[in-house]
Amino acid sequence: MMSRFPRSVNVGLLGGFVIIYLTAVGMIEAFYDRPIITGYLQFSVALMILNYLFTGYMAAKPSKDGAAPKPISAGMIAGLTAGALVGFFVLGMTVLAELGYNPRDMFVSINPASLDILSFGQTAALAVPIQALLGAVMGLAGGYLFQTAKEARSYVLVGLATLMIAALGAPLFAVMMDGLNIPSRWLFDRDGLTIAGAIVVVAGSVGIKWYFNRISFAETVAKVPGVTKKNTNLVLWAITGVVLLMLPWVVNTFISDVLGTVGLYILLGLGLNIVVGYAGLLDLGYVAFFAVGAYSIAVLTARSSFLVGGSVTAPAATGFMNFWVALPLTVVIAAIVGVLIGAPVLRLRGDYLAIVTLGFGEIIRTLVLSDWLKPYLGGPQGLTEVPSVPLGPLPARDPRILYYVIFAFVVLSYFVAIRLKNSRVGRAWAAMREDEDVAEGMGISVIKYKILAFVMGAAVGSLGGAFFAAKLSVANPGSFTLLVSINVLAVVVLGGMGSIPGVVVGSLVLVGLPELLREFGEFRLHIYGGILVAIMLLKPEGLIPDARRARELHRDNPEKLPDPILAEAGGLSE
Amino acid sequence: MIERLPVRRIILIVLSLLIAYGVIAGTVATLQTGRFSTADWVSLFTAGVARGSVYAIIALGYTLVYGILFIINFAHGEVFMAGTFTAFFIAQALAGQGILNEYPIPSLVLLFVVSSVVSMAVAVILERVAYRPLRGAPRLVPLITAIGAALFLQYTFRGFYGAQVRAYPNIDILQGNVTIAGFSVQKAQVLVTIGAIILWFSLYMVIERTKLGRAMRAVGEDREIAALMGINVDRTIVSTFAIGGVLAGAAGILFVQLFNSVFFFMGFFPGIKAFTAAVLGGIGSISGAAVGGLVLGILEAVGPILFLTGFGIPSPNQLQPIISFGILVLVLIFRPGGLFGVPDEERA
Amino acid sequence: MTHLLELNGVSKRFGGVQAVNKVDFYADPGEIVGVIGPNGAGKTTLFNVVTGFYAPDEGTMIFDGHNISGLKPNALTRLGMARTFQSVRLFDAMTVLENAMVGRHTRTRAGVWGALSRSKRTIEEEHHIQAEAEKALSFFGNRLTGRENEMASDLAYADRRRLEIARAMVTGPKLMLLDEPAAGMNPAEKDGLIEQIGRLRDEQGFSIVLIEHDMPVIKGLCDRVVALDHGEKIAEGDYDSVASNPQVIEAYLGKAAASREASL
Repeated sequence: MMSRFPRSVNVGLLGGFVIIYLTAVGMIEAFYDRPIITGYLQFSVALMILNYLFTGYMAAKPSKDGAAPKPISAGMIAGLTAGALVGFFVLGMTVLAELGYNPRDMFVSINPASLDILSFGQTAALAVPIQALLGAVMGLAGGYLFQTAKEARSYVLVGLATLMIAALGAPLFAVMMDGLNIPSRWLFDRDGLTIAGAIVVVAGSVGIKWYFNRISFAETVAKVPGVTKKNTNLVLWAITGVVLLMLPWVVNTFISDVLGTVGLYILLGLGLNIVVGYAGLLDLGYVAFFAVGAYSIAVLTARSSFLVGGSVTAPAATGFMNFWVALPLTVVIAAIVGVLIGAPVLRLRGDYLAIVTLGFGEIIRTLVLSDWLKPYLGGPQGLTEVPSVPLGPLPARDPRILYYVIFAFVVLSYFVAIRLKNSRVGRAWAAMREDEDVAEGMGISVIKYKILAFVMGAAVGSLGGAFFAAKLSVANPGSFTLLVSINVLAVVVLGGMGSIPGVVVGSLVLVGLPELLREFGEFRLHIYGGILVAIMLLKPEGLIPDARRARELHRDNPEKLPDPILAEAGGLSE
Repeated sequence: MIERLPVRRIILIVLSLLIAYGVIAGTVATLQTGRFSTADWVSLFTAGVARGSVYAIIALGYTLVYGILFIINFAHGEVFMAGTFTAFFIAQALAGQGILNEYPIPSLVLLFVVSSVVSMAVAVILERVAYRPLRGAPRLVPLITAIGAALFLQYTFRGFYGAQVRAYPNIDILQGNVTIAGFSVQKAQVLVTIGAIILWFSLYMVIERTKLGRAMRAVGEDREIAALMGINVDRTIVSTFAIGGVLAGAAGILFVQLFNSVFFFMGFFPGIKAFTAAVLGGIGSISGAAVGGLVLGILEAVGPILFLTGFGIPSPNQLQPIISFGILVLVLIFRPGGLFGVPDEERA
Repeated sequence: MTHLLELNGVSKRFGGVQAVNKVDFYADPGEIVGVIGPNGAGKTTLFNVVTGFYAPDEGTMIFDGHNISGLKPNALTRLGMARTFQSVRLFDAMTVLENAMVGRHTRTRAGVWGALSRSKRTIEEEHHIQAEAEKALSFFGNRLTGRENEMASDLAYADRRRLEIARAMVTGPKLMLLDEPAAGMNPAEKDGLIEQIGRLRDEQGFSIVLIEHDMPVIKGLCDRVVALDHGEKIAEGDYDSVASNPQVIEAYLGKAAASREASL
């Protein structure tokens, strides 16, 4: 893009627009409620500071055409520009409002409260110098950061990242420390860190990084008596397992509940990962299997089910059958639905398949909602009185107990996912995903393996649905919208398509985190959308890439023409 | 030997028989009840035509982009929403001053301009930020990007303008009915249909008669050769998105004359339905978009009542999404090239 | 005697283009047949019809006693047909060994239960697949052996062609169809290829049908040559008789100038 301005000014303008955008969509105002250092630094202010720092850093980077700016001055100019832009924005909006054209009539979040945050409680006129100064200082720091040695930079990044994570996770960590009877007041104050806490966290993280820079982590573990090089992995797994098993007793029931939800999404993610990650079929109607799982278990076990002559208002005495009998049946039903949905549509090319599956998801939701099937599926209210998972004498409604049940099934599905991947079946999927025609030429029945992927995905996803219904004790259509499909897709994509640990990380980040960060709730889908785009642009293989998939996604691959003759003509190299 | 068992064929045959039976038996049964007069059917039909015209114009955006880049711009529904939602504030201000009813034609023109410009801007930014860096990436990548972009745009505008549903101010002269050939038709439906015809025809002229249109066709044919011939591929692609955006924004102003409410999620269903229309007519084809839009609109308006009432299904209109999505699924299964496209026999 | 592969009057049209027109063709066990013809003569289309990528519009095709008209490529692979592609099409995101292992798909059985239980049988089968794959790789000496864990995409062009042949070998074929195996190879590599394809027949007992533009390769290998032009068979016989056939010469010379421009 041609521009009359120097690059640093352009970068600065972009940085300023980011803050204006965050203000206009309401994030600055909403995130002001969340402290980083209680009483001193609020999250939205931290965002501003980090944004200016990043702006300065980006401005200091050499541009694509190779022109290398002077890092410090470029960073400062960019930061100054960004800050000034934000300042003038505040001023301009305030003036507009004074003149009787209240911007708030259109942009609901450009209101006095958020403008006040941007001007740090001062008058609008002072916003310009304040923001410009802040921008210039942080931009300069960003430029400086670019100039410093890589190692020093990594210390700063680790320190900042840990500070943010510790602060945003403060409620969780405080509860955990309380659960372990470790005093936490000196570290955490309400939802944020104390000053002492911030210092400890930053110093601690930098110190730990320094230590492990000298001795690798594996070596450190291997020093513990009884641990040899061979069993290091095993020991780490064992420790992880013990921690996960102890978790519900350390945290409160709310967090156990959140962990249960994360577990459900791991189940769904593992299922969708088979379809999208292994077989390369973009299924946007995955919620259909989730819904089939939930409704099957509800119809089979709930007291309000038509099978036992009950209704939502007049439930029968007992359900039709026991949960553990119904569960395998549910999986079978879902697998059949998988074949029914899969078989007719699997010939379709990738993007058509995506839309058709989306269509199926919506059809199922519409059916469930309709008056027509209301006698069977309860219409908009759904089916209530779904009994919890029966566990003999154990209190099954306790989120902690449910955590264990879900945990067990997650482990099972994890195992299934790994075994499938490293097998003849997994190889066939990988081959088909990469080049359908050649795979077929190698004797792989593409249709069979696509249906198989759908069936396996459906089976695992229906488990998620079944536990979901048992956990909430209802199955209602409100829980089975397109957004669930997109949530799960985001989980798989963020973690890395085809990557099994990626699903776990994706669920923790995208499902666990928003539950803990109440202020994010409203922006959850907004951020998901951004993450999907950003991941595809920057790192399509995800956070924890699957090696093979990463190579595929990075290959510059012109649109694969479905017709082998055309593809061959395109490949002619004479 | 599982592949010897024609699972797919059996399912398809059973499916087609079921649908054929449902449509015929349902229609006969409904007509036998005699609950609906000819006037009822005509008004359903005209509603369908008007709605279908809007789908057709939005569908052009999908078709144009697909014709040139072979990607489905999943976020096109959001492009449509962005302009329409923004223009709402202009309409509200005009209505507040009484200008909207005093000078309805200039006001409408202004709304068309605002809506089109905003939609165009969003479409262009979308191309620049989300799609251009991904040209040549595996197909799955731009598709996921598009889904992400759709979500991001929805919630951006939710953040901007709030989550509540807003009522577009009515234009008095468009209220009420006119009588055409003895049947009473809503004025708004007439306006929408005429507006859509004008838009469609303008686009047709652009594609067929201008240099830009030729460039677009050339790039769609073969990007590299087009570049060798001196066509600026990047600019042509941006222009395609821009034209799609303008049409979507204009379609939005037509849309609100029929369903006069706006909110951030309003783009989703019209988007999917317009996509269905594009596929129905044969994606990549301009005439196909028009025919597909009309067929879908009419089936949606008439279908649920005509096919389902006869079976005694309560509230058939609730099941209307099944008709639209059902059509999409069926077309893609049986005629992936669209009603008028070449059947994709090589894949069969 | 019965032919291994027999085509009678096979045709394939694309829109208005008659890509393959009433072609009769056969290949006998242990035979190497060359298919020649100028660009656009319909050679690759014929391959795609034979291997099930396209359904023929008319004609019959018999392979090893089975009527194969309308069968899918995967079913044909199971019956013992294997092919390579004109533009090498490997699974680039897989290793050399994995590429070859995929070829064993139809000769093995482990399904979901096998994968999950990892029973003794499944493990043995995996070992068998790997052994077969390594055996096929070793056919090309140290070109592929010792590089099993490299990415297929990292191989040099000629090695990619070799790996494609190895992958086809692993499917356990009776008939191998090679689409321009010598394309892009230098003279030394071509000599090696002639020797290797000869060994494929002599040692492995495969019948081979190959499309080739390179006349020395055809001359050095083929028992019989079939020439196509405009989708029709214009000549058939030993190399010398076909090469001296006036129709064949005209097809090549008459086309040569035009095709040089068109193939840009």
